[in-house]
Amino acid sequence: MARKILRINMTELKATYEEMPEKWARWGGRGMTSAITFDEVDPTCHPLGPNNKLVIAPGWVSGSPAAPSSGRTSFGGKSPLTGTIKEANSGGLSSQKLAKMGIGAIILEGTPKNGDWHMIYINKDGVDFLPANDLMGKGMHEVDKILWERFPNKPAVIGIGQAGEMKLSNAGISVNDPENNPGRYAGRGGMGAVLGARGVKAIVVDDKGVNAIEIVDEELFKAGRRKLTDSIQAHDLTKRDGALNSYGTDVLMNIINEAGGLPTRNFSAGQFEGAAKISGEMIAEMVEKRGGGMTGHACHPGCIIQCSNIYPDEDGSIIASPIEYETAFALGANCGIDDLDYVAKMTYECNDIGLDTIESGNTVAIAMEGGLLEFGDKVGALKLFDEVRQGTPMGRIFGQGVEATAKAFGVHRVPTVKGQSMPAYEPRAIKGIGFTYATSTMGADHTSGYTIAPEIAGVGGKVDQLTDKGKADLSLTFQAATAFIDSTGYCLFIAFPILDIPEGWAGMAETVAGVTGMKITGEDVIPLGKEILKMERLFNERAGFNEQDDRLPEFMRYEVLPPHNVVWDTSDEELDKVYAWVHDGSN
Amino acid sequence: MTITIEVALYGRLAQLGGGKHIATINIELPRNSRMKDLFEQLKVNPTETSYIFINAVLSDVPGLNASQEEELHDGDHVGIFSLGYMWPYQYRHGMPMTKSLEKAMNEFGAIHHTYKKKA
Repeated sequence: MARKILRINMTELKATYEEMPEKWARWGGRGMTSAITFDEVDPTCHPLGPNNKLVIAPGWVSGSPAAPSSGRTSFGGKSPLTGTIKEANSGGLSSQKLAKMGIGAIILEGTPKNGDWHMIYINKDGVDFLPANDLMGKGMHEVDKILWERFPNKPAVIGIGQAGEMKLSNAGISVNDPENNPGRYAGRGGMGAVLGARGVKAIVVDDKGVNAIEIVDEELFKAGRRKLTDSIQAHDLTKRDGALNSYGTDVLMNIINEAGGLPTRNFSAGQFEGAAKISGEMIAEMVEKRGGGMTGHACHPGCIIQCSNIYPDEDGSIIASPIEYETAFALGANCGIDDLDYVAKMTYECNDIGLDTIESGNTVAIAMEGGLLEFGDKVGALKLFDEVRQGTPMGRIFGQGVEATAKAFGVHRVPTVKGQSMPAYEPRAIKGIGFTYATSTMGADHTSGYTIAPEIAGVGGKVDQLTDKGKADLSLTFQAATAFIDSTGYCLFIAFPILDIPEGWAGMAETVAGVTGMKITGEDVIPLGKEILKMERLFNERAGFNEQDDRLPEFMRYEVLPPHNVVWDTSDEELDKVYAWVHDGSN
Repeated sequence: MTITIEVALYGRLAQLGGGKHIATINIELPRNSRMKDLFEQLKVNPTETSYIFINAVLSDVPGLNASQEEELHDGDHVGIFSLGYMWPYQYRHGMPMTKSLEKAMNEFGAIHHTYKKKA
């Protein structure tokens, strides 16, 4: 039986299961959220107004038996932070539970009458709109605890903290992990504000008593799953006891620092003298020394990569989970802070109040450059989060992210593209990532352009591998591959083995074909990914974006970045080649 | 005549420098030493390393062993990562690298997450 659409209207307080329309039937995850947003959201709408929608979709293979690392949920709509289309995705419990309930997408629309707030409970018997009075003003740690006590089947909790209640543009959407910690975030782009604009504090998904997962071709699915699992377990980046499993994503801190590409003190340098103290190796040392917390943690059931962590305090109690590389860069190096305990405390604040850690850390850095604090003032930085929680004027500015805060403090060195601030790779030193930041439909985004080996992508031999020639073609291919993987429900990190190992790549496509019945192989991945990118690009154009928005910030063109003393010097013409095909009929 | 090199060791190799996961030590070598001499002094097996940097310039990636003949100079900083470290291609695409590494990657095929040297 095909998955259904669950349309929830918050003006009428009505929930309806609809047959999946043919036009959306072949999509999942990001493909689904972008297709629905493209069809149903006016690109010129105000992102906080009544005509935006929040679309929530599991991926194609989410919930399928033993599909490894397949627990991602996509959240889409028009972003309050960027004004573009947005897909933010998270791990946690929601994806598999939505899929088991046979839900292909939730479309949350309308605005509440009288400013009422609700909590939505979804189970096999239907959808309940429950008052949320006792949850309002509470952080997600407390909300998750209350809701697991109220609904004892360990459901998924999708929710917003105070930031989303206030509809701040840096509000993220929290999903609980298997330990009911609110640390898995659809963080980027302010989609928490879109949930808040619907008057919804939390959505509880309780799949007890239902499993609507259907595999159209069991043999094909199993064959594909075997190849994919084997490649994940064999590849250096994802195997058990590899660095990702041992040190988490923060394994990149020392590498990127040694390379001179670690954004430091508001993107003013590429190396940070305190990098080792906030690295994945240091997290491992603290876990070992303090006797609490863990590394090698799974953010969702069935993950075989297990790169997350739980960070302990001196007495072994938990401060926060997880500390990712992006979080440690933004709240650490970019603020000149080298104290992992404070990075963890600020992570807790972000998870509780409901803020994206990347945008938050970069915003603290802007406030430091603007003179509110000194770089390195970890105590002052931590206190800023309470301003957001309390909804003070300073907190409301801070909760809007980098660009608004930069305006408030007269800062011109603003590391954003399309309104979203840059993640943990300096584009002046790592020039390839600059292409992704500039051209991605999502704003400055490091997860949009995962690399695929040329022989798999079918561009081998056509591209000069290490020169500038063909970078635009490569960037498009990488972005298309990523858009496809974002639709599967698989964690993006499966991309590491499958983008290197042809059998893993084929296996991934076979699992999708096996579950859905779609006739796709590895060769269909890039074309399908491009279809998704085209919808997103056209939405953005209709929202008012053009190639002038595919640019890196001005200061990066003239300010040299130590230690390599480089500027961003890629031509606009090169950048414009990435998406020229949307209108010129090429490629 | 000697030169002093600051060496940062990451992962299992940190034990060679007295650390658990990270160690930073100063090593004295004869003038005109190369990376292979540093490895010999530290007792590092080249097959146990992954990413190697000399003054922030990428000099080696796992599986290629392209850095052994790189010259070292007084005051250089060398970062050596143990086997098992990860650095996906899209997060190093366009980074400064040594000529010998560029040559080795062009011979093998650069756009991968991991490498195996051709026989």
